[in-house]
This record gives sequence, structure tokens and C-alpha cells, in this order.
Amino acid sequence: MSKTNEPNTDETEEERTADSSKVEEANPVEWDEAPNNRKEPTERRVVSHREEKDDAKKIVTGEAKYAADYAREFPNLAEAKIVRSDIAHGVVTDIDTSAAAAMDDVYAVVTPDSPEVPNKPYTSAGQSYPEPSPWDLRVLRRTVRFVGDPIAAVVAEDKDTASKAARKLDVSYEEYDAVFDTAEATNPEAPQIHDPDEVENHQPGADYERNVEANVSGEIGDVDAAFAEAEERDDLTVIETEWETPYQSHCVPEPHTTIAHRDEDNRHHLISSTQVPYHTRRQLSHLFDVPVKDIQVSKPRIGAGFGSKQGMHTEPIAMALAEAADRPVMVETTRREQFHAVRNRRPARVTLRSVVTDDGNLRALDMDAVTNSGAYGPHGMTVSSAVGKKPLPLYTHTPNIRFEATAVHTNLPVAGAFRGYGAPQGHLAVEGHMDEIAHELDLDPIELRSRNVISEGDLDVASGILKDKEYGRRIRSCGLGECIAEGRAAIGWDDIEQPDADHLHRACGMALTIQSSGVPGDELGAAHIKMNEDGSFILQTGAVDIGPGADTVMAQIAAEVLGVPPADVLVQPSDTDISPFDHGAYASSTTYITGQAVKKAAEDARGMLFEFASRMLDEPESAFTVEEEAVVSEVTGESVSLEEIGYESMYGDEVRAHVMGDASHCTEESPPPFGAQFVDVTVNEETGEFEIHNMVYAVDCGVALNPDLVEGQVEGAMHMSYELATGDGIIFDEEGQPETLGFRDYDMPTTADQPPMNSIIVETHEPTGPFGAKSVAEIPVNGVPPALSNAVRRAVGVRIGDLPITPEKIKAALDDD
Amino acid sequence: MEIDLTLNDDDVTFEAARSDTLLDVLRDNGYAGAKRGCDTGNCGFCTVIVDGEPVKSCIRPASQLEGADVETIESLGTQDDLGPVQSAFVDNAALQCGFCIPGMIMRSKVLLEETPNPDEAEIRDALSENLCRCTGYEKIIDAVQDASTRMSGEADVAADGGYPDGDDAGCGCGYPDGGCGK
Repeated sequence: MSKTNEPNTDETEEERTADSSKVEEANPVEWDEAPNNRKEPTERRVVSHREEKDDAKKIVTGEAKYAADYAREFPNLAEAKIVRSDIAHGVVTDIDTSAAAAMDDVYAVVTPDSPEVPNKPYTSAGQSYPEPSPWDLRVLRRTVRFVGDPIAAVVAEDKDTASKAARKLDVSYEEYDAVFDTAEATNPEAPQIHDPDEVENHQPGADYERNVEANVSGEIGDVDAAFAEAEERDDLTVIETEWETPYQSHCVPEPHTTIAHRDEDNRHHLISSTQVPYHTRRQLSHLFDVPVKDIQVSKPRIGAGFGSKQGMHTEPIAMALAEAADRPVMVETTRREQFHAVRNRRPARVTLRSVVTDDGNLRALDMDAVTNSGAYGPHGMTVSSAVGKKPLPLYTHTPNIRFEATAVHTNLPVAGAFRGYGAPQGHLAVEGHMDEIAHELDLDPIELRSRNVISEGDLDVASGILKDKEYGRRIRSCGLGECIAEGRAAIGWDDIEQPDADHLHRACGMALTIQSSGVPGDELGAAHIKMNEDGSFILQTGAVDIGPGADTVMAQIAAEVLGVPPADVLVQPSDTDISPFDHGAYASSTTYITGQAVKKAAEDARGMLFEFASRMLDEPESAFTVEEEAVVSEVTGESVSLEEIGYESMYGDEVRAHVMGDASHCTEESPPPFGAQFVDVTVNEETGEFEIHNMVYAVDCGVALNPDLVEGQVEGAMHMSYELATGDGIIFDEEGQPETLGFRDYDMPTTADQPPMNSIIVETHEPTGPFGAKSVAEIPVNGVPPALSNAVRRAVGVRIGDLPITPEKIKAALDDD
Repeated sequence: MEIDLTLNDDDVTFEAARSDTLLDVLRDNGYAGAKRGCDTGNCGFCTVIVDGEPVKSCIRPASQLEGADVETIESLGTQDDLGPVQSAFVDNAALQCGFCIPGMIMRSKVLLEETPNPDEAEIRDALSENLCRCTGYEKIIDAVQDASTRMSGEADVAADGGYPDGDDAGCGCGYPDGGCGK
């Protein structure tokens, strides 16, 4: 995906200008938009309406079936317990399995030596092929690199028996020194966590002798020259800030669960809680050396993902255990495993330096991020890259920008994909830094941003900072100005009244946010739609609905094209045997990428409807449109119902052909959604305690195809963003033993302590998106940490740059003042 | 061991192991609406009603249930005829992945039986042991308030579980919809 790009400092100003005008020309503002893609609000029959989520009724009756709910369909189902390392670094010298294996109702105990367990390196990251993540994992491990590494597994008649047997395993270790801090880990004297010869598919900049998983960098303009100039000139100011974010748990409601079995055709079938059924199928095929055609991955309802299910965690062990036990096996992780053995948001330390003119124009931004991958590298290079390349496009006009990211291994839990994908870590730095500039120059923070921020019609080059110079992203929709105006009004930015008590100080803080809509040039979505006799449709897509309502949005898009109510488009859940290919639910891509494939497939089917109508009404196809479950002639007003066409197409006298449509969609475009986060806080200067009165987030996601679902995304993401800002994250003792073992140890906000919040939808029209839509799932998770940090700064004058923001830190900072 | 109890108004006898919890017994017998989220009583996804009280079934030993009166999500309305709390959750879009929702609805049902017209603070207090990761709780609070209104007969409830009458006017889109703001 990303690659390093050494800046060419010998390049002349003329050459740079020539480069940039080439990129300008290659990315024109004009876009050849499909007919009927842009609809006025009154013309929209189904999209941008608050349609009911297609699974809502079965959820409220308890009938929605998640992976574990399929257990009863397998009368001889066995259950598993994974045995995990209880030391942070070392090697397993012996595992005595005899006592466990001898127990009644224990079907198998597997270790790395078991023939059913593959011993190839792979990555758990559910990404495009070849994955931009190192292949550094084994299904079961002899060398252990964090507390939680799987070393063996037991399968038994039920979970209790498996757990009892697991406790009878006698494991001997040779312990190694461990390292838990990224700064210490890159010291040449530090314990080395990976042998580079044991890792395949190394990522750019890997230096395993210094525990560096990846290192990438890029530059626009000449940053060193800009800082050198600042030293010489009084009207330029240099500002430097540092930021730090902790581990965060996804807290997915449904623990990762897989049922693996052989079906009646002797194929491997997995029912699994995954965001990436197709990647999982391919990766299992490679790992187990089984043809792709012999594996089926079915996605049932999913109890949310947030990135944690963008990877294989339970699938390989379940498949190996099903072979070892010769019967269906369910692997259901415990909550404790969820917190420290699955995946988390990667901690990051970010430094940001800038050069700014006296009147608040950014001249240079120099950003450096060091992130903690933990013991293994899934998503390490790509998330670390995103720390910079996601937020920096807000200020793409800055003539000199440099970004370097280093992903470092430690003997702590494994970081992975997590909603925002590096952007929250980067936004804290960039948007916190902007307020420090505003403070230094005595400018209003909103005014400072308005002078520098990206807007509609601009060419964003900052998102390509790690790519070659040919890259630019044209901004064809940007509602940031309106997001700021509406958010500012809603939070009461201009009307804050100070509390009567002298020790209480109230202020608003804000932060701008940006994300993408899919991975440009990478993701593929596809769709197939077929009509039933009665004019209803069955839609098959690889869109993986993990909870937000993707299936509902897909039905709305198809229904808008076909002139039917969304309830007449039945969406089948993603299944590799049935659905067209899709990269999966990640990178905020589903509505933008797969949605466009659905739109094109529905238009393809509509073409067939018009062919039938032409014969049935004896009018040219060009005369037709669809409305209210019928094809209608705009010339004569004659119409034929979809049901009539349905019966004619299948049983008619003239032409028999099934009304169907197919399409794929892949694009170089990835238009950013935008948003503005506001937080209103009162801080007690004596204790450091603070109260958040309100959080407002105004979002531009293009046309909101379903406002209920958009608000749901914004509110849920703001909850997570608030938790990142104020929660303790995951804590370890000095031996790397996790102290956060369950929900009671973790600061996930409840109804009682979640501060009030409001979501505002600002509509723009994105010409490259289906009916004008951009993404919305990730962007609202970026804003609360910087907005709250900025609010506290404005209230009491101290900067908390290392999350979480706590009363203790505020008090300590005030005492230092 | 065998346990006799009343489940959703039926007298039933379940076979259970000594270590089984109520959640184990329910799920083993096909009452899978209650979800397993933590097994430590900290998430509330497995909430059911026992003798009128909300109970986290993952930490209630099955052996203590002899003679108990247990209600699960399966006792409420069907998809064709939702109960008022269920339809309020649907109509307020108060669900995403849905994994917490059966427990959330059962907890809300007890609240509304005990406190028919709760204010927001009472709702937030009552639901504070039921986690939700998707919604930020905003629409869930709205749904419980709406359910309270419906149950006290102050608003019509659409027979199909859709929007209450009068709430779908304005957009002229021709589809049964409400509040789309158009």
C-alpha cells in the first residue's frame, strides 16, 4: 500500500510546480457523474430516509442468530479452550499433555507439534493480497512473546471439560528478558523479539534487531529549509508538541466465535464472527494448504467488529481442532481473552513541530509517530502510516510537510485494526497542536483553522505523502465550514458563561476531523441482484454487515434504482459460497465501494426491466423510468408492474430471461468525509475534576443515505472517542501481566457516566459516491481527545497531551504551573 | 440434576450440571436470546427476569432456580406483533449489532413496570449495568422514554410496529416512513 519516498531535496521549485500541475490535471474537479446520481431531497424515494434496519425486528425478539447461536444445529459439537502463555517472553521447553488427554470427554489436545496444526508463518490481518503486514504468526507458538500467546488447545465435549483439561497441561518455559516500552525496545541492547529469518513478507523499514516492525516516511516540499528559515526570521514561530495515547479495547459485545466443521460434501465450513469472510477464506487456504474451493466462510449476524474482527483469531484454531477431534468444534473466546489476547488500538507517541507565520499561516509541519505494535505486526505498518496520512490532509496547503512513522515491537498484547485506524492517535496530535499555535499567536482556534484548512475544489496531496509525487486526491465535496458553524452554534461557543464559583472554569474546545472512504485503488466490491416473480428482489453482496446496518443501506440503494420499497429487496448475509467477492467491512468502504457496486448492479437489472417493458408496451426503452413498483413511460404514461414483468420474464410467450444484474466497483477515489467535534467542559482548578456538559459532532458524510444509521454511527463513535480521551485503557504490571481482565476493570462508559451528546448531519453531495454518499463509520471516533484536551487548556490553561485526561493529571499540571 | 421452574409462563423441567448457570441452561434448551458477553456479570447481555427482578443469568447458578419464575426475551412479542418496549427500540433505531438488546429490553421492561414514567436520570441509572458499545446509549434512552409513553397509552402504537400515527407526515415520499425530515 504505502511505500517509502525519499525526498528529493535537489528538486527545483520549477520541477515541483511541474509535478504538481501534472497531478492537478490528472485529478480534475469535474467528475463525469452517472445520470440520476444527484437527486434533490424531494426526488429521493428511499435513500436519505430513516428506513427501518432490516434486522431490527429479529434483534428485539432475540431471534437474530450470531455465531454461537448456531451451536444447537450441531448435536455432536465439541467446545474448545485455548491455552495461552502466562509469561511475556520465552520459549516453551515442554508441554506435558498426558493428564489432559486422558480425561473423559476430551477429544484432542493440540500443540505446535500436532499434525493438524499448520506451522507456516501468516498474518492475522484481514487485508488485501499480499497483505501489507508481516507474516510473523504461527497458529500455536513455541516461542512466546506476550502474556496471551496461544501455545496449545484442548477440545472436549463441553467448555467446562475443556477448561478443566487445559488446567492439567504441565508447561515448562525458559524465560527471556522482556521489554515493554517502545523507546527501550529500539535500544540495541534490548531483548530481540523476532528473528527476521522466521518472518516472511517483511514490511518497509523493518529492522528486527532493533524490534522495528516497519518504518515509513515521506516529505512534501523542504521541511528542514523551512525550519532553518524560521531560525532567521522574527515573523516565523516554531512550535513543538508531544502526544501520547494508550491501548484501547474494542469491547466488541460478541466475543470472537467460530464454529468449524466438515459439511456433507467434506468441505471445510466455518460460521464465524468475521468482518472479512473472503480474506479469511483465502488466508485459511494458504495456511492449511487447502484449495479455496474447499472452504466456505459464512458470516451470521455479528455482534459488532470495530476492526477487531478484521482478522483471523479463532478461525485457524477452530479449523485445526475440528480436524483433530473429527467433529464440529466451537471456539468462543472469553472476555478476558478479548481484553488482552485478541487485538487492541495501538498506543502511539507523536511529536509535531510546525513553522507558522505571525498571522497564522502554516509554513511547515513535521510529524513523527512511534507506535507500539505489541508482540506481532498485523496492521502495524498501515495503521502507523495512517497516524499521519489521515489527519494531515486537513492542512494539505502547508507547503512543507514531513511525516515519519515507526512501528515497534514490545512484549505486550498485539495491536490491530480499530475504528479510526491510526487517525485518532494522529488527530490528537494535529488538532491539539493547532490549538497550541492559536494560543501562542493569540488567535481564535477556529479562525486559525479556517485560514489553513482544506476546502471544496482543493487538491489534497498530503494523503499521498507516503506515495510517489504523482498522487493527489481532488476534494469534490467538503462541508467543513458548515460543520464548524453548526457545531459552534449548537455547543454555544460564543455564549459560554463562567460559573459563579471562582474555582470553576468553563470553556469549549474543538477539533476538526477527516477520514477516507475506502482504500483508494485497492478495494473491490461486487453485487448480484435477481428479481422474483412478484417484482421483489434478492440482493447478494459481499458487504459484511457487522451491526451498523450495511445490509439496510444496500437495500435502500437498490430500491431507489428499481422503484420498489426497501422491504422488497432482501439482502443475503455475506457468505463466500453465495455472495460476490468483497474485501470486507473495513476502511469505511462499505457504503462507498460496495454501495456503488449495488447501484450499478441494480441499474443493470433495471436495463432488463426496460427491455421487457419495451416489448410489452411497444415503446422504446429510452421512454421508461421506474416508480412505485412499475416501469412507467414518461412519454405516454403507460405502465407495466414489476410483477407483470416478473411473470412475463419467467413464464411469458416471447422471451424468457431472468431479470438480473451484476456489477463490480473499484476506484482510485477515496473522498474524505469531514466533521467538527466540540466539547463543553467545566474544570475545578482546586481538584482537577471536570464535568462535560455536552459533546457535539457535526459531520459531512455527503448524502446521509439513512440518517438514523448515520446518527447511530456518530453517537456510538463519540462514545468510544470519549472513552479514549478519559479511560485508563489497558494496564499491565511490570512483568507484562495484564491487570485489565474484564469489564469491571475497564472504563467503558455506561448510561450513568456517558456525557450528553448531539449529532448534526451536514449534507454535501459527493459526485463519486452512490447517490452522493461518503463514509461515516470511522470519522466520528477521532474528535473527542483533542477537543477535550483543547477545552481543558482553554478552561484552566494546562495542556494534557498524554491520554487519558484525568483529574489527577490536570491537578498535577495546575500545581506545576 | 433436574430443575423445575416456570419459564415464560410454562412449567418446565431442565436437566442441568451442578456448575451450570441459568444462562447455560437457557441457551442449551434453545432460549438463545440471552447472550453470553462476559460470564462475570459485568455486561448485562444475558439479563433475564427472575421472580420479577432483572438478573444477570451468567452468574445465577442454575441450582438456585428450583421453583423460580423466569421470563426471557422469547416471552415478549413476535416479529408480527411486537411488544411496546420492542417496538419502541425498533422505531427509535435504538439498536445496531443487537447483541446487547435482548438484555437491555428485559432490563427496561422491569424498569417500566416498577417506574412507569421514569425521567432520563432514572433510565440512565436503571440501565447502567447493561453495556452497549454501538449506540452511545442516546437512542436507547429515547426508546425507553418512548416505550413509557406507549405503555401509558398516551400515543397510538402502529399495529405493524412502525411509527406512531402522525409521525410519518411531511416527506410525501409515499413510503411508510417517519421523521426523515424531508
